[in-house]
Amino acid sequence: MDEHSVTTLQERSEALFDASVDHVDMRIRSRLTQARHAALAAAASPQRRFLRAPWWAVAVGATAACALGVTIWFGSWSGRPAASAGEQRPSFEDLDLIAATDEGSGDTMEMLQDDVAFYAWAADKTARADSGHTGHTG
Amino acid sequence: MPRFATLTHVLMVWDGPAVAREDAVLDQTRELDKFLAGVERRAFRIAQVALRDVDDALDVVQDAMLKLARNYAAKPSAEWRPLFYRILANAIRDLQRRRAVRRRLMAWLPGPKDDPDNDAEDPLENAADQGPGAPEMLMQAQAMQQLEHSLRALPARQREAFMLRNFEGLDVGDTARAMGCSQGSVKTHYSRAVHALREQLGEVW
Repeated sequence: MDEHSVTTLQERSEALFDASVDHVDMRIRSRLTQARHAALAAAASPQRRFLRAPWWAVAVGATAACALGVTIWFGSWSGRPAASAGEQRPSFEDLDLIAATDEGSGDTMEMLQDDVAFYAWAADKTARADSGHTGHTG
Repeated sequence: MPRFATLTHVLMVWDGPAVAREDAVLDQTRELDKFLAGVERRAFRIAQVALRDVDDALDVVQDAMLKLARNYAAKPSAEWRPLFYRILANAIRDLQRRRAVRRRLMAWLPGPKDDPDNDAEDPLENAADQGPGAPEMLMQAQAMQQLEHSLRALPARQREAFMLRNFEGLDVGDTARAMGCSQGSVKTHYSRAVHALREQLGEVW
């Protein structure tokens, strides 16, 4: 087979294919345009980041969240002596609170701020006590 | 710490990165739209040649566009072409495998056999209209049908290599990326495809 016939085949097949692309009918063109718009809309959708997460990541995240909730629940229930029969029952209210706490809410930050204020107050008290003690002895 | 003259200036500086990000996303969407508009009809024809079914071809092209937009829109635009054709080639192969399984299952069942690969095409249907140049268009349609028939007789990898190199104009490197194989394999598949087509179509085609 000579080089010329191969080149002819390549050029002719390419030209025929291009012509067949040009003759794709309007119904198909319209459907392709709709498909393209749907693809672009899906790419711009705010849900896509969640949907793009692999299924195992979602499963691991959900399992970890459940395990953490159960650990906290049973840990708080069994870790201290029961004062009464009422306290032996698992605290469903606590579980609800844990489950209901939004990640983005300010509750956690407020608790941390309270702690910081307490530690600042304690440090100040200690410093004052130390200086008073030193003052009395010095 | 910069001093801001007005509140507007503060807001402009504050919103600056967000606005820039939005502009970048818009530019990317426009570029992707342009890319997909440029390849969609060619991709459809390639899928149609391989699958011999308009609806299946539309489905795999839509699927490929969706996957590219969702998963690879953030990639550099130079990478879209081989990625898109890789997704398309995989979708075509998956559909052909499903059809093969269905054929085997149907062979065990009584009743009429439904085989989309055996549907004969009429070149007159593919000729767009009967306006000026209609005989020439009919000849083109017949020649294209001969070519499609010969392409379908090729092994899948040879057909892929030929269509990507010859129809889509991908270079050897991009064809290798699209097919998920080495450049040497692409050259071998392509060369075999060209020789097989030449033999099937004859010197007069």
